[in-house]
Amino acid sequence: MNNELFINNNRRFFSTIWRKVLLFMSVFGPATITAMADNDAGGVATYSIAGAKLGYPILFLLPIITLLLAITQEMGMRLTVITRRGLADLIREKYGVRAAIFMFAALLIANIGTLVTELSAVKTTSEIFGISPVPAVIAIVLISFVVITRGNYKLTQNIMLLACLFFLAYIFSAFKAKPDWGAATSNLIFPNGVNFTSSYMRDYLIIGMGVLGTTITPWGQFFISSFASDKKIEKGKVGLSQLETYLGAFLTDFFSFFMIVATAATLYVNQITLTSGEQAAMAIQPFAGELAGKLFALGILNAGFMGLVVVSLSTAYAFAEFFGVSGSLDDSFKKSKTFYILYGVQLLVALLIAIFSNVSLFQIAVLTQTINAVALPLVFYFLIKLTSDRSLMGDYVNNPFQRWFSIICSVLIVIASIFTVASIFF
Amino acid sequence: MAFLSEILGRTITDLDGNYVGKLEDLIARERPEFPHPVVDAVVIDRRGEKQIIPYSIVMSLFAPAIPLKCHIEDIPTYTLNDDDVYLSRDVLDKQIIDTDGARVVRVNDLQLVRINGTLYVSNVDVGMMGILRRVGLERMTNAIASGLRIPLTDNFISWDNVELLHHDQFMRLRVPAESLADLHPADLAEILSDLNKMESGQFLESMNVEQVADALEQVETDFQASLLSEMDDERAADVLEKMDPDEAADLLAEIPEARSRLLVSLMEKEEADDVRHLLTFPEDSAGGIMTTDYAIVPPDITAEQAIKLLRETASDIDTLLYVYVTDPEEHLLGVFSLTDLIFAEPASLVRDFMDDRVKTVHTLDEQVEVAQIITKYDLLAVPVVNQENIIQGIVTADDALDKIIPTAWKKRLPRFYR
Repeated sequence: MNNELFINNNRRFFSTIWRKVLLFMSVFGPATITAMADNDAGGVATYSIAGAKLGYPILFLLPIITLLLAITQEMGMRLTVITRRGLADLIREKYGVRAAIFMFAALLIANIGTLVTELSAVKTTSEIFGISPVPAVIAIVLISFVVITRGNYKLTQNIMLLACLFFLAYIFSAFKAKPDWGAATSNLIFPNGVNFTSSYMRDYLIIGMGVLGTTITPWGQFFISSFASDKKIEKGKVGLSQLETYLGAFLTDFFSFFMIVATAATLYVNQITLTSGEQAAMAIQPFAGELAGKLFALGILNAGFMGLVVVSLSTAYAFAEFFGVSGSLDDSFKKSKTFYILYGVQLLVALLIAIFSNVSLFQIAVLTQTINAVALPLVFYFLIKLTSDRSLMGDYVNNPFQRWFSIICSVLIVIASIFTVASIFF
Repeated sequence: MAFLSEILGRTITDLDGNYVGKLEDLIARERPEFPHPVVDAVVIDRRGEKQIIPYSIVMSLFAPAIPLKCHIEDIPTYTLNDDDVYLSRDVLDKQIIDTDGARVVRVNDLQLVRINGTLYVSNVDVGMMGILRRVGLERMTNAIASGLRIPLTDNFISWDNVELLHHDQFMRLRVPAESLADLHPADLAEILSDLNKMESGQFLESMNVEQVADALEQVETDFQASLLSEMDDERAADVLEKMDPDEAADLLAEIPEARSRLLVSLMEKEEADDVRHLLTFPEDSAGGIMTTDYAIVPPDITAEQAIKLLRETASDIDTLLYVYVTDPEEHLLGVFSLTDLIFAEPASLVRDFMDDRVKTVHTLDEQVEVAQIITKYDLLAVPVVNQENIIQGIVTADDALDKIIPTAWKKRLPRFYR
């Protein structure tokens, strides 16, 4: 009798766990994809430079970045799930046409810049596989275009989640590099093991800010909101979505850890300087072996693909929301024409710039970073204002702690992005 | 004629030209007798403090500095009504969705028009010019365009083609391609399923009972049930009366029994009896899927008299495909189609041109058998009879096949096959 009762309870225990897992899977996607796409090709390049130039101590920034990413992304996610509208929808409705046009223009230009950096990373990396660069970038643009225009929301989400798995490549590369795991983990808690000279500290500050700047971006803020709104997550699941946001932020920086470790254990230890982050895959080969280099390169290609899709989607979604046209991955091409055309045109423009123009990558990166630095404070202003608006958010309005904490985080990020831009000019 | 965006932010002065504040918003209200909302009040920002004043004391809204008709110290305050709409806060920049529920555009501006001292909202500006006006580039664009001889066109939607669904900040507008009342029930149903629950409830309230009933017939039964649960009992009963009895019975079988009983008791006796009768049959039997909307005529009248009789008795039958011939006790004797009737000599008797080899099904026959008979004899509907061959109802081909081909699959078939 007693025994039976025990078994029954046990069974119920498993079924509730199972139900919770299923429930979680129903919201899973947007936040993880956004966070992982923050480690796009440009992100990998920045992390590689950071690891190569500064070694393990730069790892100290990762927990802080994770926290900032989690806090800012959570606001966008909560806003969307509760109001059932995207960030751009709400900016237009609450702040009018001028704000909408300004934010859209900033997003469009900065995003095309980001797309060009993705493509140039793909260009450099494809050489490691013996593919000539131009066909490689054309192929990746075509794939990105076909996946989005042919598929629906679910297909896109699943392809993106599959792409996230490729980030495992960095773990293998890191292990192949035979790093000093003790130094790596201890540096997560406090920076140690190097000679902290003043020139080292200067580089640390500049590169550290750069790392923060590539991880937390305006498009990331818009994308998480639009993608969650396209997924049509029910209000009741807001808690699970918040959980997913935190998980996504953690996963991203979990993989960033291995990227940095892979370059720190090889390039920093052997004092090899990288002129650009895209070369990292080739540069680590002599130390970590050909396989590690190839895996690292595969990771960059995959990050480039994710970046292309997510960044151009974020512009297309934002346009649809700002100007009220139909824009959903579940819509047919005919119904959401503007949305899909804008998606494709951005890719095309970026492709042309990447292939033909002789504008240097550096100039594009400067332009992109500058616009992002201008747009980011506004994005946070809107996000914090909107999530603090009780008439919109009801019971899910920011509490004073959330409000002040998010303000502090935003100020930190904004200082970082302005600092990054300033450091380029001076 | 002016635009809302042009007058927002203008200075407001009193009778003597003393500064009062800035124009922040207009408050308008829709009135049942007129399709355009009338501006009733003006919201003034008095150095951070909001004051709402009646429109009647504003001398002219379209002046560069808006003068009031009274002195600053005796400005009256307007009391808000429940259905007042803030034009800038609640309408400007809101999303407009079309009849398919697709997002088409946002409200870029509102056009105001003054007729006999009353200010109306005439049009919703959804065009590019509206956006340019909002960012202050309208004049420049006009100058450039006229210089280049490019004609600029405004893109307006009249307010009567737009419907406010909601009065708080989440309100949206709706632009049907045709005016809402002319929409096909299937389109209404699609809008309903696109709206969230709260909005669809309000949308249903804005339609008349007839429209609601037609729209409900087009959506799945569980969605019908959830919409019905939003309506009050009186209205729900009215809607059920207007629905086809078989649809109504299906729906009633779906909702909690207590409410189902209550609703049936609120219905008119005739419709209630039909529905009660239908509810006694198993859901997947011929009786369960049949409708009691059918036409009967006696055998010994002429074709001419039959047409006259049908005009009187069968005008509210949605799909009149066949006319059944019965004796006074409603024993089924024969059938003819409307085509037969039209081509029959006006003086010929019904019993002479009717077909007396009627295929029938029994009330307790299974739906599959009904569908088989319908397909085998290529019928559009089959009569349902009881043991004594008394007609109980008819099952249309659509309903019979509905139960066999899953609805989702049917919708994917090209229209031709439906």
